[in-house]
Amino acid sequence: MKRKEFLNRLIGEVSSFLLEGNPLRMVISLHQEEDGAHLSFFDDRQRSEEELKRIRNALNPKHTRPELAEYYGMMAGHDTSWDARLKLIGWQIKQATVQNTDSGVQIELWLGSDSFNPSQFSIGEKS
Amino acid sequence: MIPMIEQHERMRYLSISLFLVFLLTAGIMADGPVKTFGDLMTIQATGSRLLQDFTAIGTGGAMVNAALVALIGLAVVYFSSVTLAGPTMAAIFTMLGFGFFGKTVLNCLPIMAGVWFSARFARKSLGSYSLIAMFGTALGPLVTYLMFELNYPLSLAIPLGIIGGFVAGALLPALAGAMLQLHQGYNLYNVGFTCGFLGLFASSALRMAGKMDPITITWNTHPHPTLLLILPVASALLVITGILDRNGNMRTLPSDTLQLQKLSGRLPTDFFDAVESGAPWVNMGLLALASMLFIMISGAPCNGPVLGGVFTVVGFGAFGKTLRNCWPVVLGVCIGAWVFGKPITEPGVLLAALFVTTLAPIAGQFGIVTGVIAGFIHLIMVESTAAWHGGLDLYNNGFAGGLTATLVISILHWIRTNRTKEDFTS
Repeated sequence: MKRKEFLNRLIGEVSSFLLEGNPLRMVISLHQEEDGAHLSFFDDRQRSEEELKRIRNALNPKHTRPELAEYYGMMAGHDTSWDARLKLIGWQIKQATVQNTDSGVQIELWLGSDSFNPSQFSIGEKS
Repeated sequence: MIPMIEQHERMRYLSISLFLVFLLTAGIMADGPVKTFGDLMTIQATGSRLLQDFTAIGTGGAMVNAALVALIGLAVVYFSSVTLAGPTMAAIFTMLGFGFFGKTVLNCLPIMAGVWFSARFARKSLGSYSLIAMFGTALGPLVTYLMFELNYPLSLAIPLGIIGGFVAGALLPALAGAMLQLHQGYNLYNVGFTCGFLGLFASSALRMAGKMDPITITWNTHPHPTLLLILPVASALLVITGILDRNGNMRTLPSDTLQLQKLSGRLPTDFFDAVESGAPWVNMGLLALASMLFIMISGAPCNGPVLGGVFTVVGFGAFGKTLRNCWPVVLGVCIGAWVFGKPITEPGVLLAALFVTTLAPIAGQFGIVTGVIAGFIHLIMVESTAAWHGGLDLYNNGFAGGLTATLVISILHWIRTNRTKEDFTS
C-alpha cells in the first residue's frame, strides 16, 4: 500500500476520533523516515484513566490480525459519520502510546516495515 | 504452561474438529460408505447454482461434502497462521453450511488458488486475504457450471472451470475492499455482495454467448431423519464449549453474554475480542436454538439450504450477530412476506428470513424500526437478485443485503450530515 494512502487512513480515523470530543484545538504532526513513520496527535481535552486505557487497548491489540488489518483496515478513515473505530488502525501499526499532557491528550502512532524499530527512531534527536 | 489465548484457540480447533468428525461419521452411517462415496462424487460433478439442495442427491454425501469443505476452511486458517476467532469461525461455519447446497471440494479450490495468486501479486501473505479466500468460495457454482453444465468435452471443460474460478478468485481482493466502502460494514456478508457484483459480469458474458441456462430449484421436502440431529448436536456442542472455555469461571458468563448483546455487530466486530471467552460460544448456541425454533414454527423442512442458513447464522454469532440485532431484520422479512402474500415456507422467503441477518448490524446500530425496514427492503431485493447473477453467487442474500445496506446507510448518512444542529452556519 502506498504510504500516502496509508497515512491518510490513519490520520482520518484518529482525527475523527478526536473530533468526537469537540476539541477547540487539534494538532497533527508527521515525521517520516525511510523504513517507518511517526504520527502524533494532540488535542486540548484531557481524558480519564479509564478512557486512556480504552484507547490504548484499541490501538495496541494483543495479537497481530493480518486477516482483519488488510481487508477491514481499508475502512479506516473513510467513515466519519459515525463513531470512530481505533481498532481498525490498531491492527495496522507497530505501536501506539497514549497519554495526557498538560493541555489534552497525546496519541502517538509508530508505523513501518518489519525491520522498523521505534526505539531507534530519530525524531527525538531531530525535534 | 500453555498461554491462555493459545488454550482458547485450541479449544476452538477441538470443538470444530469434533463437530466435523460427527458430521462425517453420521453421514457415512446414514447411507453407508459405498453410497456416501458415490453421492459425494455425484455432488462434485453436479451443477451447483442456486438453488441446488445436495441432500436431495444423498444425505451422507451432502454431510461428508459439507464437512470436507469446512475442513478446507480450517486448513486455510491453520496453514496461513491467522487466528481462529470470530471472523475465521464465521467463514468456516459459512463454508460448512454452503457445503449442503452449492460448495464442493472441487469448486472451492480454484477460487482459493486465485485469491492466493492475488496475495502473492500484491506481496501479501495468504493470511491477509484468508477471509476473502474462504468467503470467496461463494462463486463455486461458476467453476462447476463451466466444468459440467456447458456440455463441452471434459478435456476442455475442466481447464475452463479451473481458469474461470482462478480468475474470479484473483479479482476478489481488489473488489472486496471497494464494496466494503459502499455499506461501511453494515452488511456482514460483504464478500457475498462482491461475488454478486462479479457474478453480474460473469453471467452477462455467459448470456451474451448464449450459454446461460435459467435457474432451477432443487428443494428436498423430505429430508433424512439424520439431518434433524445436526442442529441439536451443534447447539449442545456450542453451549458446552462455551461453558468449558470459561475455565470454571461461570459466575460472569450470563452477564458477559448479555454484554455481547449490546454490541452493534458492525464489521469487523470479533466477539472473541470484545467479551470474555465463552460468551461468544453461548451466543452462537442461542442463535442455533432460535433458528431451530423459527424453522419448527414455520414448518420448513430441515434440508440442505435451511441447514446452510442456520450454520451461517451460527458462524456469524462470533462475528456480528446477536439475538438482539437479528430479530428486527427477520421480523422485517416476515412482514414483507405477509404484505406480499408469500408463504414463509417458500424457499426464497424462508432463506431470506435466515440470511437477512446479514443486515443485523443495521438494527444493532440504528434500532429496531430501521432494522425492520431494512429487512422488508431486503426481501423485495432478494427475490430478484438471484436472476441477475444467474445463481452463480451462492451468497445471494449477501448481494441483496449489500444493496439494501448501501441504500439505507446512504440515506441515514445524508440525514445525519444535513440535519445536524452543530453547524457553523446555524
